[in-house]
Amino acid sequence: MRTRFLESIGVAAAIVAVTVLLKLAPVAVAGQAPAPSATAAAAKADPALKTAWGEPDLQGIWTYDSDTPLQRPARFANKEFFTDQERAQLDKERAALLSRDKRVERGTELDVAGAYNAVFLSFKPTGRRTSLIVEPPNGRIPPLTPEAQKAAAADREFRLALLQATQTCKTQSVACAGGKYDPKPSPRRAELPPRYNTGRMNRHDGPEDGALGDRCMSGGLPDFGTAFGGSFRRIVQTPGGISMFYDTGQGQGWQRNIVMNGSPHLLSTIRQWWGDSRGHWEGNTLVIDVTNFSPKTDYLGSRENLHLVERWTRTGPSTLEYTVTIEDPTVWTRPWTVKQDFRKQSDQANRIYYEPRCHEGNYAFPSLMLAARLEELAFAEGRGPDPATKDNATDFVGVEDNPLGGF
Amino acid sequence: MRKRFSGSMITVAIAAAALGAVVSVSVTRTVGQAARPARVGGKPNFSGIWQANNEANWDLQAHEARAGAVMQQGSYPYAYAQVPAAPVLALGAVGGVPGSLGVVQGDGQIPYKPEALAIKKENADHWIDRDPEIKCYLPGIPRAMYLPYPFEITQSTNEIHMAYEFTSTARTIHLYKAEGPPDDTWMGHSVGRWEGDTLVVDVTNFNDRTWFDRAGNFHSDALHLVERFTAISADVIRYEVTIEDPKVFTRAWRIAMPLYRRAEPNMQLLDYRCTEFVEEFMFGNLRKQQLVKHWEGETLAIDITRKVPPGDRFYEWYGK
Repeated sequence: MRTRFLESIGVAAAIVAVTVLLKLAPVAVAGQAPAPSATAAAAKADPALKTAWGEPDLQGIWTYDSDTPLQRPARFANKEFFTDQERAQLDKERAALLSRDKRVERGTELDVAGAYNAVFLSFKPTGRRTSLIVEPPNGRIPPLTPEAQKAAAADREFRLALLQATQTCKTQSVACAGGKYDPKPSPRRAELPPRYNTGRMNRHDGPEDGALGDRCMSGGLPDFGTAFGGSFRRIVQTPGGISMFYDTGQGQGWQRNIVMNGSPHLLSTIRQWWGDSRGHWEGNTLVIDVTNFSPKTDYLGSRENLHLVERWTRTGPSTLEYTVTIEDPTVWTRPWTVKQDFRKQSDQANRIYYEPRCHEGNYAFPSLMLAARLEELAFAEGRGPDPATKDNATDFVGVEDNPLGGF
Repeated sequence: MRKRFSGSMITVAIAAAALGAVVSVSVTRTVGQAARPARVGGKPNFSGIWQANNEANWDLQAHEARAGAVMQQGSYPYAYAQVPAAPVLALGAVGGVPGSLGVVQGDGQIPYKPEALAIKKENADHWIDRDPEIKCYLPGIPRAMYLPYPFEITQSTNEIHMAYEFTSTARTIHLYKAEGPPDDTWMGHSVGRWEGDTLVVDVTNFNDRTWFDRAGNFHSDALHLVERFTAISADVIRYEVTIEDPKVFTRAWRIAMPLYRRAEPNMQLLDYRCTEFVEEFMFGNLRKQQLVKHWEGETLAIDITRKVPPGDRFYEWYGK
């Protein structure tokens, strides 16, 4: 795993990380500019924010310039905004994380888990808001429905079963939280996962055991960015047409063209990795309705029934407000809404090349499987340990220390 | 597994045939995407969904039809009497290659240097192992323009974006001075300008890993393209490319072809996320239980022999 990122995407990640780190100082100042809502009214009167043919102008390269947790951290419950002191303190704590050596004991099988150091991360200054979620007002993802809870528990149980005979559980690593150590490998190693796999598991019998990210297929909707290289949009418009390229996830970028002709969604039999996006203008706001997701996609447990309603509004010369209402009655007990503020990037300094792309350099994914086959062979010939007692899946140990939560 | 496979293929074939019939009767030129304004910022509006409708992706040069994309010797020892080989055998007439008059202008020849011509021939012999399209790698330019998949042009006043259905890739044509990237790229760096009503695009900063077609026509990282887009009518663009690469060719050469508007009123780009589709091809041999086996009685279970050519960085790296 680690090898793939290092080999194929390391350069891209490093470039992005460095770019963002260089921006720390100016961005912190920009964060104190008037709130987007104050400029929204002004935007309506500004003809410069219209295209030559009179539609609202969303064009340019956009990204978020501060880090805001998706969900409000428990210690800030009932607080919509951080104080300036709190932000300064959080920036200090997070900056310390960047220089920390996260590797566990050298030479152990979990040693690779800390290999993602600051070079690969793009921490930005803490934003003003305590959560990207603005609805419900508590800033938290609504409770899961009973059936979604059941599905999540079954999935988690399966993954823990594959780890139970490994050092990860023996040493009570957080990666084994909720599970227990048993030196005897679980018979569930021979089972199919409870549902189509999208995440990391401690088994590599075939491509489908891989996480979507390892398979170079993690780019999807909704996308709020991560600390690994951030997330950019390149928007180009034409009369009645909008194109968005998502440069995201270290080479997992993808192209999105919004259907603007007022026609209904695709037949429900057509299911897509990126859904079906149909947009229209409501005043200055581009509203996009997204459905028809594939059951192979997974956003926090939501799959083919995911329904998004996005609203894109240019709020000023360099600002764009993005909100998305996320709905899946089979997963969440109510819809919820996320708001993210984008800032325009320099066309010259931040041109997007849509590459290097993950897939063309994906050396590590076949290596994961090859290594698994070699371990099985060594075990069969009495040269190595039972592969079921080894953990080749756990990564990112230490993420839980981030005061803004995981990513 | 096998039974389900052949069953579903038949279903797909029937569905495709049915869909083709529906599409062909519903085509009109007056509604849907064709309703866009004729000009944007005073220039011809190329916005919309387009597709080449030719055999250039099989081979830029003129060629006769053949029975299979991969061939082997049949009963006779003659090249013209070869029969389809295992990778396409089960596809019957669907696995064949249509003939073409070619899209290379002038004498129809691609002016390879002698040593480059040898590489081209070797590429053709190792097509399955070497063609980046088969691995779902980024197609590069100009190939992305005539792959058998639609692409969408979004034309603004200072940028023209081209989004390709094949593997959801894209390029932005900058209509302003934009310096190239610090490293070479698969899709190139495109800077455009208008010469009257013709869009002229200069494309540089390529790597040496994309091909022109399935016939093994290739280039180096010195590739330099000048593309010209000229409207023949509201629904047809003349697409012409001058190709220069002093490491591979003795002189510049040109290809030209029409690009046609996909005039179906409900046309839109759909997913073609082939990264997923090629997993079995690329990684199937690493499965604990392999899916592709052998002949089972009268049942064809296709064997693909991968003769990995020397110099393939991917296989050499992980084969260590």
